[in-house]
Amino acid sequence: MTLLLAQADFPHAMHQLTLGHYLVVSALMFGIGLVGFVTRRNLIVMFLCTELMFQGAGIALVALSRYWLNHTGEAFVIFVLTVAAAEAALALALVVLLFRRRETLDASRWAELKG
Amino acid sequence: MDLVNPYVLYAGLVVGAVGLAMVLPRPGTSPRLLGGIIAVAGLGLLLLALGVARTEAAPRVMFYVFSAIGLGAAVRVISHPRPVYAALYFILTILATSGLFLILSAEFMAFALIIVYAGAILITYLFVIMLATESPTAEEAEALAEYDRHSREPVMAVVLGLLLVATLTTAVLHGSARLGLPRAAGEPVVGGRLAQMPRKVESELRERGLLGADQTLAVNRDGGLVPAAGGGGVEVVTRGASPEAPRAAVALPADLTLTNTEGVAFAFLAEHPGSVEIAGVVLLMAMVGAVVLARKKVELEEAGAGGPGARGEA
Repeated sequence: MTLLLAQADFPHAMHQLTLGHYLVVSALMFGIGLVGFVTRRNLIVMFLCTELMFQGAGIALVALSRYWLNHTGEAFVIFVLTVAAAEAALALALVVLLFRRRETLDASRWAELKG
Repeated sequence: MDLVNPYVLYAGLVVGAVGLAMVLPRPGTSPRLLGGIIAVAGLGLLLLALGVARTEAAPRVMFYVFSAIGLGAAVRVISHPRPVYAALYFILTILATSGLFLILSAEFMAFALIIVYAGAILITYLFVIMLATESPTAEEAEALAEYDRHSREPVMAVVLGLLLVATLTTAVLHGSARLGLPRAAGEPVVGGRLAQMPRKVESELRERGLLGADQTLAVNRDGGLVPAAGGGGVEVVTRGASPEAPRAAVALPADLTLTNTEGVAFAFLAEHPGSVEIAGVVLLMAMVGAVVLARKKVELEEAGAGGPGARGEA
């Protein structure tokens, strides 16, 4: 099984965490968020899924920052947090506005917004 | 070479995607439990492919535990029909991500994530979820809204996500395997930054007894430490010594390094000072925009009984 899972000329992969482990987890987190954003019809859950995608990006940033042994990536995560907070404030205000107008959170009820 | 066998990776992704398509809410009786089991099996296969077979050191086990919790909770976020529970599962994802950050020795980001996300953003989400739900009648209090029960095109979306993740992971694994292994041992060494923190260095040296009671560290005009002429140390000023005499030097201990918070502070405030202002402006604009958007029109007429503004006053 070990031979099946890991390539023989990369022996450290089985003994030690590498950058790739974190990047795979980050890609999976991003993908789950993307699937949720496309499938769910509740506006609030759709915005939760964008936060999941932010999380995936954040894991990649921190892992790369640790890999290169400097702190620029971690400082960038602060901006991801800032953008997430701003997005949450604005998007949730919009959601409240839309809900008041039509008493529903169904994204497909607002299909005319696509222009 | 690749980190894992690509076919194992793709098999895990396909199994996980089939499970994900089954747990998404859909009309009729959906095979949610079976789908959940399949999704867990797929994710487990993926983590196995990343090398859980042999566990020696504690951080590796913690990596897989935190990844499994985070990804499983993320699946629940997008598959739970009730938005409140989705938000709570998202908090679980945040906590697991903070665990991953701790393993990466990014303590500051881990706690900032918990404070900002779990403490602030998710509370906002929960409030909006509670504000923006139709008030149910007594008999259908347990019923779900139609748009929460049915998801939109789950199969197509999962296929799309599968393709994206497969492409991403393939590229990432090829590229990161070429980069080789990171320098594993020790904290990040940030050269030259310690010289800008004379107070920290001085108190650390005093604590270790390397600095006498009548000695202080020499500081240049910019407030930084002065490197000794021979290298490998900093100059020390002894009280009472003549200014012309050569100054003594003290070597810095090898384990005296910047903490993670100090490193992030230097990267954030010293290297990108303008960005702090930009972040502040972005947050201020978002706050003003949110207030303007969500403001309720106040009815000035008191006598408007029965009008739309009087609804909900009783």
